[in-house]
Amino acid sequence: MRIYHTTILLLLLLVALPAWAQRQVVQGYVRAGTNNEALIGATVSAPETGIGTITNENGYYTLSLPEGEHTLQATYVGYATTSRTIVVAGTGQNVSFILEPASNELKVVEIQASSLQQKLNDTRMSVESLSSREAKLLPALFGEVDLVKTLQLKPGIQSGGEGTSGLYVRGGGPDQNLVLLDDAMIYNPSHLFGFFSVFNPDAVRSVELYKGGFPAQFGGRLSSVVDVKMNKGNNERIQANGGLGLISSRLTVDGPIIKDKLNFTVSGRRTYVDIFTRQLNRIKEGDKEYNPIPDYYFYDLNGSLNYTLSDKDQLSLSGYFGRDFFGFNDSDFRFGFDWGNTMGNLNWRHKFNDNLYASTSLISTGYKYNITNKIDIFTFKLTSEVQDYTFKTDFDWFVGNGHSLKFGAQATHHGFTVGRLNFESADSTLSFGAGNIYQGSEFGLYASDDFVLSPMISLNYGLRLSGFNSNGKTYTALEPRAAAKYTLNETTSLKASYASMMQYVHLLTNSGASLPTDIWYPSNENVEPQRSQQAALGVSHLFGKGKYLVTNEVYYKWMQNQIDFRDGANLFVNDSLENEFLFGKGDSYGNELYLEKVSGKTTGWLGYTLSWTYRKFDGINDGKRFPARYDRRHDISLVLMHRLNKRLSLTGAFVYGTGNAYSVPVARFAFQDVEGKDPTIVPIYEDRNAYRLAAYHRLDLGAVLKLKPKRGEADLTFSVYNIYNRRNPYFIYFEQQKDINDELTIGFQAKQVSLFPVIPSVTYNFRF
Amino acid sequence: MRKRFLYFLLPLLVALASCDLEKDIDVDLPDHEPQLVVECYLEPGRTIRASVLESSAYFDEPVPPLVPDAEVYITTHEGKRIQLNYKPVLVSSNGRFYTHTSTEIMTGAPGQTYYLEVVDGKGRKLTGYTKIQPKVPIDEIEWKFNDKDKAYLLTSFYDNGSTDNYYRYLTHIDSLSAGSDRDLLTSDELTNGKRVSYGSAYDYEEGDTLIVTLYHIEKQYYEFLSSISDAKSANGNPFSQPSKIKSSVEGGIGIFTNLVHDQKTVVLTK
Repeated sequence: MRIYHTTILLLLLLVALPAWAQRQVVQGYVRAGTNNEALIGATVSAPETGIGTITNENGYYTLSLPEGEHTLQATYVGYATTSRTIVVAGTGQNVSFILEPASNELKVVEIQASSLQQKLNDTRMSVESLSSREAKLLPALFGEVDLVKTLQLKPGIQSGGEGTSGLYVRGGGPDQNLVLLDDAMIYNPSHLFGFFSVFNPDAVRSVELYKGGFPAQFGGRLSSVVDVKMNKGNNERIQANGGLGLISSRLTVDGPIIKDKLNFTVSGRRTYVDIFTRQLNRIKEGDKEYNPIPDYYFYDLNGSLNYTLSDKDQLSLSGYFGRDFFGFNDSDFRFGFDWGNTMGNLNWRHKFNDNLYASTSLISTGYKYNITNKIDIFTFKLTSEVQDYTFKTDFDWFVGNGHSLKFGAQATHHGFTVGRLNFESADSTLSFGAGNIYQGSEFGLYASDDFVLSPMISLNYGLRLSGFNSNGKTYTALEPRAAAKYTLNETTSLKASYASMMQYVHLLTNSGASLPTDIWYPSNENVEPQRSQQAALGVSHLFGKGKYLVTNEVYYKWMQNQIDFRDGANLFVNDSLENEFLFGKGDSYGNELYLEKVSGKTTGWLGYTLSWTYRKFDGINDGKRFPARYDRRHDISLVLMHRLNKRLSLTGAFVYGTGNAYSVPVARFAFQDVEGKDPTIVPIYEDRNAYRLAAYHRLDLGAVLKLKPKRGEADLTFSVYNIYNRRNPYFIYFEQQKDINDELTIGFQAKQVSLFPVIPSVTYNFRF
Repeated sequence: MRKRFLYFLLPLLVALASCDLEKDIDVDLPDHEPQLVVECYLEPGRTIRASVLESSAYFDEPVPPLVPDAEVYITTHEGKRIQLNYKPVLVSSNGRFYTHTSTEIMTGAPGQTYYLEVVDGKGRKLTGYTKIQPKVPIDEIEWKFNDKDKAYLLTSFYDNGSTDNYYRYLTHIDSLSAGSDRDLLTSDELTNGKRVSYGSAYDYEEGDTLIVTLYHIEKQYYEFLSSISDAKSANGNPFSQPSKIKSSVEGGIGIFTNLVHDQKTVVLTK
């Protein structure tokens, strides 16, 4: 495969050489007018040449332009596009941009017009990006805007089930996503069993998701990179924004501490259903028939401090802390269950000169859950935890002649506490415990070159060396990565990519949902690292006077050392977990078609994915290949946003997906059991995931109404989830039906359970 | 502002709760070839009996799938081959249904092995064996009342540290016929060689008669019961994974094992 790929690259090289003309380097910064903050990922392009790029982590860009006059344009979501006319001749030059925020949030999407051109010309493929502002326009379940769930509307990215925020990217599992929040990994990015992600839309600026063609600086997960960036504080004045929603409220405050030197941002979000349930429990106190509703809430805190030391040095400290809490109390019985992530990242950015930058981080990130159960004098405690300490450093070097190098290194120490159980009584008559502690070290070294060979051809190739050590066993691997773009003509480009990925830590989950008790486990002498390879080919075509971009990508991904569990595995409290593991293979292939329009009054996208996803394990399904639960033949999503007038815009999203592959029992038998037990019916399961649930489809509608408050800005966001009240299947089961009088079995009936009917909601958002 | 806003929520929650989110559907299942299903428990001092039935396609009529032409043989540790007679009977004293019975009394001692063989007219053949378990006595049964006059129960016994052991612990209130109050299946993985205690919540009242049974079971029975429980919970729990039945017999489904237990009856007093 690799040889084949190299051949293609060489061929492209040969074709491209004659196109090489006299060119010069143009470079500079793109910064925000409000706080001089570097805008990462802003687009800088010379539209008429088809040459463009995006800014790096320092807001810096480098372009190689043919000599002559050009209009250079800088765009960034949420900011007004700025153009400058420049003459390129003789030597290179510096051109920097200051972008002002777009005055009207609803206009934001318009500004992206030129981003389609940029997408066409980007070497990268299989990347989906979304800004928090965009996500906030779209209808959301319970009005809770969620960037991760909005990403599920893009082709090739699926949800695992109704309402969940887990991402299944190109046949990969939700544990195979590298979820980064300001460069720090988040182990369990969901709240409430996966119904909400941990990303507070006010605290987050944007997210980029790589489905394939992974750049060499990313490693450690097989299937995707979800790169989430937090908002930075502004340097002008103290600002506040927030919202009141159906189930949660949020508030963000940001501003300068020392003008132009030090700024901060703090965001918080908390749900408040527990306020009602506690009230209800209090009212019903004393009612014997009433079962008190347990407490449940979650909250998130995000914060950052940014300190500009000098023109060349910037320090920033960003952090996240979130917890879910589920509890139940009465006089004899106290049950508490809490879980969440904690992350802190101290980052130092240094500019050596205009061509060389470094970014160095010290990161601590972890996930843990605690279950405490107290009955009288007995206490039961169960804890699992993963805690990482990471040092990483990344360099960006604009070498010239069309080469931009990235290289760096990363080292992580992992600590895993797996299922630590403690059971004891206050009078010490009883005491036993279980659980294990494992350590692991992971490292990565990488280098890659973004090479603009000619206006027609650009390449990105790199290599990552990764390794892992745990309990005396060391694994190392080379992970080659490559991507190429060939511009066929002004409106069409062809792309190809290949990426090899390794994953050294594994999530142990035997359910379709994201449960807080899912635990992470390191590779060791018995558990080999997971590996995947993916190749993709794509074509992009711009039409309708540059208003529409259609992209088609076909991919094939194959994975080794996938982990599953033997039937009936006990993952909860088990000192010999490895006895429960099964290792197998997986593959996924498909075609993703994506049509988008980002300018004009009506914007949106249409995605269609045709895909196949399989798994093969010796101990499952008698060793026969079986479809993964989320193997989805057809997946369609249509998202439309229409700006009716200055105050009102309407939005809608329609999704359709082939039903999940599901296991149903094909037969049954009666089991009498021993004396003193009642006979029961036992289901017999045969082929894994051989049955299909009914197709999933749903239409959501939303509206954003701008209000005119005396101060600042405000809006009301209305949203209706599942407007035609489709009963989508969540799961099915077979029920034994009994005669009411004599309790005799009269038959069996299949039942389908749905989760969310039509759900209207309204959210009030403000900024001042 | 905030408080007023929150009242919006209440009618909505009510509306949500009243939505019927479950409905009947039709599921097309592939054809099922019925398999022999056996349940045979050897209990020292009792007659040897078995139940041999068939599995049914899930949506078939709920009639007892009898297999009249099935021949059932038990071979003792001494090599004596006993044929059980086809004679379906519901024993009213224990509520059990047997298809094949004999008058032979099971007399095996710990460590001895018994064999089962079932053949029928369709050429199906099912085999299994069981090794008699030593009895594990209940050491102590304690209870304690709280200030609400409810008591918890604590049953203790000693685990043999030199062997892998599996237990099934049952409690019944008043009589064995009303279904079990608790049914625990455990291994000694976390408690090897220790004094093991099974507790309960504050479930009992003064004067309750509790029948406590501790079975010292075979690993194959432990696995069979676990798989039964996993398979049942997979049907109806979206978070569990489908599970196949781990039978202790080959050539069909079911369990052939021996039941060695200690049973004590206590009346809760303050």
